[in-house]
Parts: sequence; C-alpha cells; structure tokens
Amino acid sequence: MKIGIPQALLYFRYGRFWQEFLKNLDIDLLISPKTNKLILELGVKKVSCEICLPVKIIAGHIEWLKDKVNAIFLPRFIELNHGLYTCPKMIGIVDIAQMQVGNNCTIISPKIKNNFILAHFLTGLKLTKNPVKVKNALNKALPYSNNHNAIVPVADLKKPKILLLSHFYNLCDDFIGRDIKSTFRNNGFHITTKEDLANKILDSDQGFAKNIRWVYERELYNAFHYNLDKVNGICDIISFGCGPDSLIGEIMMKEANDKKVPFMQLIIDEHTSKTGLVTRIEAFSEIVQRNSTSRSHIIPVAS
Amino acid sequence: MKVAFPYFGYDTIALKNFVENLGAEARLPSPPTERTISLGTKFSPELICLPFKITLGNLIESVEAGADTLLMAAGARKCRFGYYHYIQENILRKIGNGHSFYPISQYTPFEFFFTKMPKIFSVSPMKVISATYLLLQNSALIDHFHNLVRKARAIDFRKAADREKQALVILGNAKNILQVRKAKKSIERLFDFTENVPHKIIKVGLVGEIYLMLEPFANHDIEKELGKMGVWVWNKRSLYRHLKHLLHIDHLGIKYRFEASHYLKESPGGEAINTVGEARSFIKGGADGIIHIYPFTCMPENIAFEALQKMSADYSIPVLSLSIDEHTSKTGLLTRLEAFIDILKRAESKRVVNKTHLSSPLTAH
Repeated sequence: MKIGIPQALLYFRYGRFWQEFLKNLDIDLLISPKTNKLILELGVKKVSCEICLPVKIIAGHIEWLKDKVNAIFLPRFIELNHGLYTCPKMIGIVDIAQMQVGNNCTIISPKIKNNFILAHFLTGLKLTKNPVKVKNALNKALPYSNNHNAIVPVADLKKPKILLLSHFYNLCDDFIGRDIKSTFRNNGFHITTKEDLANKILDSDQGFAKNIRWVYERELYNAFHYNLDKVNGICDIISFGCGPDSLIGEIMMKEANDKKVPFMQLIIDEHTSKTGLVTRIEAFSEIVQRNSTSRSHIIPVAS
Repeated sequence: MKVAFPYFGYDTIALKNFVENLGAEARLPSPPTERTISLGTKFSPELICLPFKITLGNLIESVEAGADTLLMAAGARKCRFGYYHYIQENILRKIGNGHSFYPISQYTPFEFFFTKMPKIFSVSPMKVISATYLLLQNSALIDHFHNLVRKARAIDFRKAADREKQALVILGNAKNILQVRKAKKSIERLFDFTENVPHKIIKVGLVGEIYLMLEPFANHDIEKELGKMGVWVWNKRSLYRHLKHLLHIDHLGIKYRFEASHYLKESPGGEAINTVGEARSFIKGGADGIIHIYPFTCMPENIAFEALQKMSADYSIPVLSLSIDEHTSKTGLLTRLEAFIDILKRAESKRVVNKTHLSSPLTAH
C-alpha cells in the first residue's frame, strides 16, 4: 500500500511527524512535490473560486497525488488545546478531498479533537493492526510533532526588524512566501516570524487573545502582541478569502495604528504578481525607515 | 431604556416582542435601505462578509434613531459571526455617543437566563425565562406563517401579498401566549386557500447561510421574486429552529446532520451541515432544484458549496449558487433566477414527455 502526503497546509507544521510516524509503520510514502504553477492550476480547477489560496493549493496537491497512490493521508484537525478550533476550511478540506478523489483512492484521516496522540494511534492501528508497533512508531515520531519548521533567524541587530505576520502554511510554502521574504531581505530588513517564538508565548491566553477561539489565529495575535514594541514594522500577509484573518487582521491593524507602528496588509491570491509585491514592499520599507528615525526607543535603523 | 438590535427578517417582530416583554422600549430604525449597507460598508473591514456590514449599518442607524442599548448576538466558534461584536463595538464607540453595547453569547444559556439578561434589563430570571418561552412560541408562529406565505405566493401572488399584510398586523399584536394562539388560528384562516396545491408547480429548495436566507433586504427579496414566478420555495431555516438548536431541542437538526453525513462527516462550523442536509432532504422530497445563497467568502458555506456540486451531479438536480455581497445588483440576480427557473421548467416538461413516451407505444417511432 502506498500512501501520499500532500505537501501543503498543515504539512508545514506536522509534516516531519507524519513522515516519521508512517515510515516507522513500514508504509511506502509518496510526498507531493513542492508547490508549483502546475499544482496550483490543478487545484484552482477543482475547488470553488472563492476559497482561499492555501486550500486551492492543497486541492492541487491532492489532485496530483490521487492517481499515484492508494490512499492520501490528510488528518482532520477540529479542536486543539481544549476549545480552540482550526478554521472551517481546514475541517472541510477532508470532505472536499473525499469528493474530489472519488472511489479511486481513500482518504486516511485521523480525527483530532483535543487528543493528537490518540487520533494518530487509532489510525495507526487501522493501518497495521499491531498496537506495539504503532506505539513504537509514535514514540519515535513524537519529538518531531511540535516542529515549527522554523526559519532560522540571523541575529543582525543593525538591520531594521520586520515582523512577517502570516500563517505557517503561507510563509513556509515557498510558492507563496519566498518572493515576499526575499523582497524584504533585499530591502535590507531582518525578518522575524511567529515561528521564531516559543510555544509558551504563542499559546498564551492573556488579554484579547483569550477571546480568539481559532488556534492559529491566536498564535498570530500573540506573536503580534509580543513583537509590537520590538520591531520597526509589521507586515500582515492575508490570503484573499481567509475569514479569520479578515477579522483578526483588522483588530491588529487598529492596535498597531494606536501605537504608531507601521502596519501593512498584503492580500495575496493566485493572481498576485511579483512586481506588484515589490512595489508595495519598497514603499512600505520607506515608510518604516522614515518612521524609525522619529522613534528612538526601538532599534535605530542604519542608513 | 431604548433597546435596538439588527433586523432579522420577519422574526424581527418576535425579537421586538421579546424586548418589550422584558419591560424595555424597542427603538428600531426604519427598515434597512441602500443607506444602511453603504454606512456599514464604510466602516467595515474590507474582506468581511456581508452580514457584518448590514448588521453594522443597522446598529449605526439605531443609534441615530435614539437607541441607547444595543444588543448583538455573539459566541465565538468556528464561524466569523461570533467575532462580529468585537469590531462592531469598537466602530460604534468611535462614532456613537453614550450608548451601551451588549454582546449576547449564544452558547451560554445559563448565563443568558440568570446573569446577563437580568442585569441588562434589571428584571428577575423568571421574567427572562417566561419572555424566552413567548419568544419561542412567537417565532414558531412566524415560521408557520412564513411557510404559508411561501406556498400562497406560488398559488396566487397578489392574494398572498394582500393576506401577508393583514397577517403581519396580527403578528405584531400577539403579545402573550393566548394572543399568539388566537393569532395562529386567524392566520391559518387567512391562508386557507393554500390547502390545495396545483400539481404542476415548480418546487425549489432554498438553502444557505441563515441571515441571507431570512433577511429579505440581504437576499434582495429572493423568496418574493421566486413567488412572482410561480415557484413554491421550500425553506426549513428559521429563528425558531435556531433557538431550539441553541437549547439543544432541535430534532430536525439531527435529521439533517444524518442526511449530510454522506457528504460532510464533520461540521465545518456555521450552518454548512444544515445546508447540505436540507438540500439532500429537499431533493429526496421531490424538489425540482436547489438554490444556495451565501455571503461572498463565507467559510462554512464554501465547503457546503463543494458538497452541493457533488450532490447536483449525484442526483442530477440543478443547483444555483448565489454568492452575495454589497455589490450584487438585483437585476443581475433576477436574470440568473429567471434563467434557472426556465431550466427547471424545461426539465419538468421533458420529464412529462418522457412519461407519455413510455406509457403509449403509439407515439414511439
């Protein structure tokens, strides 16, 4: 039996864990290639045009995999950390995938409702029927479960610091994130993202974060709050049609404006061109530089 | 105390009675207009869904009309709706003056009955419970009335419009249990001409997001327009069912969840499960087509959209998906509806021809 894992969406956080886990169950794995234009086009054809870019991309990965494997591994994250939800599209993508692949291919989908390990254990049992083996595989894989797929920070304090505020499935996917990151770097910025922060900060439920019941959105907000007086500028990258971001982004923008921190919302979709991005980021970097000279309490900008 | 809340279709009457029962004055602005939507859009985040904009416009107009206490449904879960009030409160604080804003969480009935409502209205919890009971009865009656109107419009549009006006007056006056019972009888008498449904009537199931399904301003009066074309609209969504769902006594919801489980195994939040379940049971019940209406970029309904597309192929039933935002024009919508109803009529006549085809060998060449 050959199982495919789409290299999109939650793969960027749990991918290493899934790979280790399934490999230790002696399962033949196929991981879809990094997102490219072809995969995106496959996805765009398959799902509703209003859906956000990451979901279109994962639909493309599923489409790419479906003829090459017997089953696709696509866990359904419903509730995490007691009472925190993922977004509706992440819950629904499993059903969409099932409708998309039809009967050619099954979808293996651990249902994660607060218990991450149990869900994977039950799925492992279905695959091998050997509880000891599943337990060993889980034990071997668990160290990778909270891998943030981190972008290693370069401590260059002379450069102005910018907080790239976006979900890991946007930033870690090179197809979406690479251009944005490289443009910021070329403009002389030091980039920090929420993946650089410790889990303790990201999962905190102090202040307004308490009210946010979307798990990844809460992380974004906490990262924003933590970094607000530590960075020179904040760039919020939203994929068009992302529901949670449209709300929390607005709240963050208001807070940033109150504190006079430069804040830019970049809204991306499959039509976003690199030239457009470059223009906007350059304009923003000028604002940041001008703003930083008037605010001396944070790291001064070398110019 | 002058209380206001956003409009919610016919059920505004029930909510108004509820507020008045708690001893406050309901100060609603005039029904929503184009101005409401442009006011709402002006202050809203760019990518937010349509109900946010209309309800915000409603609340702003209520403040202008002199309301000092604003109520808004809340309760954060998977759907964006539960988060509306955080932003709306901020916006209203910026532009309003001296009003108080109370988000009413939907998922905490205990708090609702014993702490929140008694505090806002300074009444006893018993009063709140009895007022809620009346709200349930009232909304049940409105649901019943709404179903009668839908059927009546398809049979005789003019007569239905006339009787609807009379019925609304009766509904507005039903302020206690006895009057609600009486009102029910007189409304049934008003619509007694709907008992016999003609055979060749087109039946369309309306599914989607609850606000757009129930608020005629938001959905450009789609039910009335369909009624004008002689279509019997099936719509199982109502405030009554939603209230029952919140009190965990909605047996229909369980049925629809089961119906939907073939397509959606887990609820993606919002009303996606209901949308899919209702659509499937409409199809099984003999609907000619399904109309799916939802706000642009609605997250749960976009998942339901995929399921409905699959369902459309499985049962070979036409499905029309209408994604509505503040730029949707009524004319464009009407054109699409007319074309859709034409398709349904043609399919219907083809089916009749096929039947005669099979029954009489003489016509078969």
